[in-house]
Amino acid sequence: MRNPRTGWLLLSPTLIILLIFGFAPFLYVLFVGFNQWNVFSADDGLVFNGLDNFRRLVFDDDFLHSVGLTARFAIFAIGSEIILGFVLAQMLTRNFPGKSLFRIIHTLPLMVAPIAVGAIWRLLVIPGFGPVPFFLDRWFDLKYQIGSYPDQALWTSVIMDVWHWTPFVTLTMLAGLSAIPKEPVEQAKVDGASRFQVFWYVTLPFLRPVLLTTVFIRIMDAIRTVDEVWMLAGGGPGTRFTGIYIWRVVFPRTDYGYGSSISLITLYLTIVLCWLLFIAISGRRKGEVE
Amino acid sequence: MQEQQEQREKKEIGGFLPFHTNAFDRVFISVVILIGIHLLWLRFMEAALPIEVATVISLVIGYYVVRRG
Repeated sequence: MRNPRTGWLLLSPTLIILLIFGFAPFLYVLFVGFNQWNVFSADDGLVFNGLDNFRRLVFDDDFLHSVGLTARFAIFAIGSEIILGFVLAQMLTRNFPGKSLFRIIHTLPLMVAPIAVGAIWRLLVIPGFGPVPFFLDRWFDLKYQIGSYPDQALWTSVIMDVWHWTPFVTLTMLAGLSAIPKEPVEQAKVDGASRFQVFWYVTLPFLRPVLLTTVFIRIMDAIRTVDEVWMLAGGGPGTRFTGIYIWRVVFPRTDYGYGSSISLITLYLTIVLCWLLFIAISGRRKGEVE
Repeated sequence: MQEQQEQREKKEIGGFLPFHTNAFDRVFISVVILIGIHLLWLRFMEAALPIEVATVISLVIGYYVVRRG
């Protein structure tokens, strides 16, 4: 019988680091969120103002708009990445000529730093210089200017995110697909199940933990996206996501109190969203078998 | 392993919530509801009723979720 203290003793370095670098900053942001703190105001110290920051936040149209934009961005980007990632992972489980080369090329975007991804895409889509607006104008007579059309900026951000992160989804799905035992799939085929039925009743339940983890990671990443999109559009219309809005409030405006309250609400929304998804996908609903 | 599973099942109760929960889950749900109610109250109700009413309502709901959830 192992002594439980040994376990805690071994865990203690990690827990201490987690407390210092994870929990303490959170408590600090929580504290600042209930204060007015703007270094350019008449009183540049921390002044307790109760719920005023949150009162301001729920009526802040720019913030609410940024939440809506972030939700649209996350839904379209993650949805596309999951579908594409699954299709590519299925493809990579089979043998075809040039598979190794394809896998290397396909994984390359994952190795590029987000800021560099933003720079590459900016060079691609910048009007008067990039090839994308040039060819869209020449072939389809389409005016493509992400600085002028918010929808174009949003869709470009989505496509850029899909390009960058689909390899990650593919790799996790590939790991999940490789771990599925062959017997249940073969049994289902022998019993006359169609390809869709095999996917829906056998493959998908086995993939559920991998799918859940991947979606969680991607949701958290998508909600805090700043650097790529900032490089691409400079926080222009259509790309003012929550992360960029927080940056604008905290750095150029130095409104630390309000910025902290927005960060807390963003964290709250992320946790609630992930938790709802966890309940929906993990099979903890009553009447479901885990 | 089986002991752990049995202990977990013992801790999880079958309340009115549509999924299996343990004590931590129910406290978490209460906190989520508390924050949600306060934010919605600030946006839609504060002009008519003070925020303290939202606190009382959320605490009552939270208590009910923790006990019967």
